[in-house]
Amino acid sequence: MAKAFSAGRRGITGYLEPAERDLLRKLFADIITMLEPETPAHEDPLAALIGLDMDVQVPVDPALLRLLPDAVKEDDDAALEFRQLTERSLRETKIGALRAASMALDSEKLVLDPEAAKLWAMALNDIRLVLAERLEIRDEEDAERVHEVQDWGDAEDVDSYLSLVYNFVSWLQESLVQAMLATLQRAK
Amino acid sequence: MSVSTAPETVREVSTSELISPDIPWELIVWNDPVNLMSYVSYVFQSYFGYSEAKAAKLMLQVHTEGKSAVAHGAKEKMEAHAVAMHGFGLWATVQKGGNRG
Repeated sequence: MAKAFSAGRRGITGYLEPAERDLLRKLFADIITMLEPETPAHEDPLAALIGLDMDVQVPVDPALLRLLPDAVKEDDDAALEFRQLTERSLRETKIGALRAASMALDSEKLVLDPEAAKLWAMALNDIRLVLAERLEIRDEEDAERVHEVQDWGDAEDVDSYLSLVYNFVSWLQESLVQAMLATLQRAK
Repeated sequence: MSVSTAPETVREVSTSELISPDIPWELIVWNDPVNLMSYVSYVFQSYFGYSEAKAAKLMLQVHTEGKSAVAHGAKEKMEAHAVAMHGFGLWATVQKGGNRG
């Protein structure tokens, strides 16, 4: 069983069982696959340099849309223009965090400095956003319904399995963020 | 000269923005049932450099009122903040300020 993250002098340390590491590796990889752009970088070197991507459209998959949301409300044109300018680099930021988190799983001891912890928290958050979309968590009531699934003996269908995974990742992120907040306070 | 006809409207928009650089824009962070309250607090503290108290106040406003204007300033700056928030997984939008006076 995983242990909660704790903040110490050497950084934030955590402990995960091999099966938990395998699960997280797979989840990180799944989200990376979702985020990898379908089209290669723009062939126009200037467009590639500034990250401009005129082919970008609003994601059809609601989970992907949650990862890459509109930055302008009630103005589709402005939102799309913003997306063309920023979405590719946002995808790269997220993929970078997910890769870093996945690589950290390869070392025996999980010891995270503040930057690595931030990337971990971002990566765990993206997993949770995608799982929440699959589990149709739309309000606090839905969140409570999913939270109630706590016994791995109850994992009898895809939804209950996903709920258990969601609750595990939520617990892990909460313990990590508590350690990060403690580190922030200590630095003051 | 015909080439310059099309971009003319675009230029007009940017000119009106240039001569009113004081128009405040704001960054709105929206509530969702997924993001942990502790994580939202962490993002507000670490990214914006807000105090623990200010971060907690804004986080609770997002949680109870559904949204909060967490930063104000130039449009470009608010847009950069929005991208950063999306990087963290928080949903943020940019809009012209004014509602809060």
